[in-house]
Parts: sequence; structure tokens; C-alpha cells
Amino acid sequence: MTTTTAVSLMGVTKKYGAVQAVAGVDLSIRAGEVVALLGPNGAGKSTTIEMLLGLVRPDQGSVQVYGGSPEEAIAKGQVGVMLQSGGIIEDAKVGELLNLVAGLHSKPMPVQEALDRAGIADLSGRTMKGLSGGQKQRVRFAMAIIPQPDLIVLDEPTTGMDVESRRDFWASMHAETARGRTVLFATHYLEEADSYADRVVLMRNGKIVADGTAAQIKASVSGRRIRATVPGANVTALAALPGVRTVETRGDVLLLQCADSDNTLRYLLSNTPAHDIEVTSADLEDAVLAISDGSAFQGEESLA
Amino acid sequence: MNRNYLMFDIRRTLRNKRVLIFAILMPLVLFAVFGLNIPKDATEGGISAIAYVMVSMAMFGSMSAAMSSGGVIAAERDGGWNRTLRLTPLKPQAYVISKVILSLLVAVPPLLVVFVFGMTVGDVHLSAGQWITVALVSWLGALPFAALGLVIGYVAKPDSVQPITGLATMLIAAFGGLWFPVEQMPSAMKHIAQLTPAYWTGLTSRSALTAGGVDTQALLVVLGWTVVLGFIALRRFRADTARA
Repeated sequence: MTTTTAVSLMGVTKKYGAVQAVAGVDLSIRAGEVVALLGPNGAGKSTTIEMLLGLVRPDQGSVQVYGGSPEEAIAKGQVGVMLQSGGIIEDAKVGELLNLVAGLHSKPMPVQEALDRAGIADLSGRTMKGLSGGQKQRVRFAMAIIPQPDLIVLDEPTTGMDVESRRDFWASMHAETARGRTVLFATHYLEEADSYADRVVLMRNGKIVADGTAAQIKASVSGRRIRATVPGANVTALAALPGVRTVETRGDVLLLQCADSDNTLRYLLSNTPAHDIEVTSADLEDAVLAISDGSAFQGEESLA
Repeated sequence: MNRNYLMFDIRRTLRNKRVLIFAILMPLVLFAVFGLNIPKDATEGGISAIAYVMVSMAMFGSMSAAMSSGGVIAAERDGGWNRTLRLTPLKPQAYVISKVILSLLVAVPPLLVVFVFGMTVGDVHLSAGQWITVALVSWLGALPFAALGLVIGYVAKPDSVQPITGLATMLIAAFGGLWFPVEQMPSAMKHIAQLTPAYWTGLTSRSALTAGGVDTQALLVVLGWTVVLGFIALRRFRADTARA
């Protein structure tokens, strides 16, 4: 258990029919890290996680979890998993499910403790099918932590939760990471990656396009965002300006992502009736967009 | 087998009583309708006709109960439950064995209820030894259907598993001679009957009531069916849990 590498993926690929879901991923996660796997739908996050867990066999490459195969790590109870959806029994009671999962492992925490940590102590006697989506996610979370695993893997854990449930969920999760567990979670919510991960791994089209702390990723994007009210703006002309990455319109309000905001500002002021102009530096979202467009990085260049 | 898993499934089964109640009521109603007006001295296949009907109905009930695991398995597969289990240390074989044991357990109530009904209302007289033997042999007869339930559970989709199980149960029971004595079937039908496992389970159970005792050959055929269906179930299970 003293191995410092929790997860190691090397040259992993997976193709489904004509779709290259994962196109060569190298990823190494050290014990104790909290890693967000960030990317849009279809980026290959779920397939990567499925290969990491041994649910899917990679076409090429190797997967190691704590130095062995994923199956070995799972058989030893080293991995706790919270999948995106399903994976529960609708006619079972919450307490029964947790008792079962605890009974399948060699060193589980008491069921009551798992219920408390997931914030669902009051739901123990309830049947799964009567629970809301957010409550079910909390049961899945309890199922993931009850084996007292070294590594917790969560695939889009807050999908379908409202804002308050998401905040509560991350508070519970934070308590687990504070215990020194290694955590890998997939998400497409940037603020989750920004707030809760030590390290953000950005995937797109089956590849890792950026890997570093949220701050590193933000810093990699030199551009600025301009927000201005421009009545009757010629969007096509603006988009064609040098250094303008994207143009979004919200009524008369324009949002421009710019590599060269000074020149864009000059153009806006001299050629359009632009007013109420704001210039802000990139946040993680802009960075991700820029990276995803391929304008900030060439190919698979890593930030780390 | 995993005791935890078995207990978990038993609790669920006891909560979803519908399947079990149906498996008990169907043979009981059929027994009452077709069995109770049989003359006391009528015989069929070397045993009293009413005992014949009783055994057939008990077999039918235990068979439908044992096969009901198919619906549960199909629903569990659809809900991604087997993915969850694959992410635990539970061994796949332990899961399958737990399901088979569960099928054997749910096969008990229909057998008992029909036998008790036969003993009391049906006025079937057997020695204590005969009751015990017929009950045990009939229970063994649930084995091939427990395996068949697994096969259906791993082949069918959740929305089609109920009709498939229902149809399979009825066809096997009807053609296998559980609803209509094989002895009274035309010869072509008799040949068809022998192709079903229910023919052999019925034959084995009824033989427990004859002077000659349990028909070991028929029992061997029952076990043969169990092995074959069990093998198919295991193949389907492996294919289902193989990594993509």
C-alpha cells in the first residue's frame, strides 16, 4: 500500500466501431492526489474510467492500479467506485444495499458511518425507487466509500443534482479527500474541477490536451475576454478580426475571446457604437475553450 | 455462494410477493378445478389420479417459481447492477450460485402449499415416507428450471423477459404433461413431451408414489437437463460479464 503510484495508464486506446473513443492516453496518478478529468461529452472520459476499472479492455496500452491489474485492486477492495447512473437495485432499501456492499468487502466501515458521511442517515429504511436523483447519488457515494478504499473513482458524480445538493455532495467528498484518499472524478462542470481538484486533466476527442493545476491551465491562456454592448454589430466582421477566437451574442451584448484584446478594443471603439465595455482575464472556462479550440496548444502538448 | 448476497436477495423476494403468490395460486386453482372432481378410485400412470394431478400441479408451481429469477436477472442487468458487482470483490460464480439457491428456495412454497392442499382438501393418502420422498424429488425437479431461469435472464431484455418466461413455462408445462396426463396424449404428443424437461421431472416425482420407487433413469435425465441448461447459463453469464 506504500506504492506511490495509484493509477497508471500507458498508451491506452479504445475504438467503438468507427469511433475512436480514446486515442492514446498516458496518465499517472500519485497516491493522495485529487484529480479532475474534465472534458465535454464524448471526450472519452467515461471510456477512460471504464478501462481504468477493468470494465472495458483497451485495444492497446496498459492499465495498472496500485501496481496490478484493475481486477486485482478491486478484488482487494482498494477501489471505491461511483458510476454515473444505474448500478443500483431499485426495489432494495438503502440500508440493505449498503449492508450488502459492506458484506462483500473485508474491511468496511460501519454502515451507519457511511450513511452519516454521505448525509443520508435518515434514508436508511427507504426504498431506492422512491428517492430523488440527488439522493440516489448520495447512496452511490456511500456505496463507494463504505469499503474504505484507497482510491475513489467517480464518474460525473453530481449529474442531475441541484445546486444545493452539489454543494453538500462536495462537502462530503472534501471530507474524504482530507482523509488522504486518492480521488479521480470525471466532470464537465468547470467550477467543480476548479474548486475541488489538485490537478485538472483536460480531455478532448479521446486525448489529454492539458494536464496541470487549475491555475496552470488558466495561466496558459494569455487572452482576454471582452464584453461590450454593440447595437447592430457585424458579427462576421468581428469574428474575422485577427486574434478573435470566438464571438458570442446575447442580444446587443457581445462576448469576444481575444488573443489580442488591445487591437480588438481599438477596432470596437473606432468602428462600432460599442459601449459598456469590460475586459477580463481568462478564467478556467476560457482556458478550456481556448485549449479545446486548439488555439492555445498545439496537439497534445502538456502543461505539467 | 455469498451468504450476504443470498440474504439480500431473499429479503427482496419476500418483499416482491407477487411472483411467489402467483406461482402458488396458479397450480392451486388448477388443482382445485381439475383435480377435486376426480373419482377417488380413478388411477393414472399407476398411481391414484388425484395424486397424479397433485404432483403435476406442485411441479408446475415450483417450476414457475424457480424460473422467475430470469425476470429479476434481466432487470438487474438492465439497471447496470452487474457492473456494480464487478466493481466489488464478489466472485461472479458466487453470484450465480446465490441465484440458483434462491430459485431452489422459492420453489419450496408452491410445492408445500399444493401438497398440503392435496393432503387436506384433496384427501390424498400417502405414507409419511412417500410424502417426504415425493417432496424431495419434486424439489430436485426445480433444478433444471432454476438453470433455465438463469439462461432466460441472460438472454432476454427486461421488457420481454416476463412474456418469454410465461410462455416458456406454459409450453413446457403443457407439452411436458403437467397440465394433461402424458398417458392420455396421442403418440405424437408423447414423443414431443419427452423432449421437455417437465416430462422427466413429472415422471420422477410421480415415480416416488409407485411401488417401484423413484425412477432413477428419469432422475438422471432431470440431472442431465440441469447440467446442459446450467452449462448454457454459465456460457451466457460469461459472455455477459466479459469485458467489452
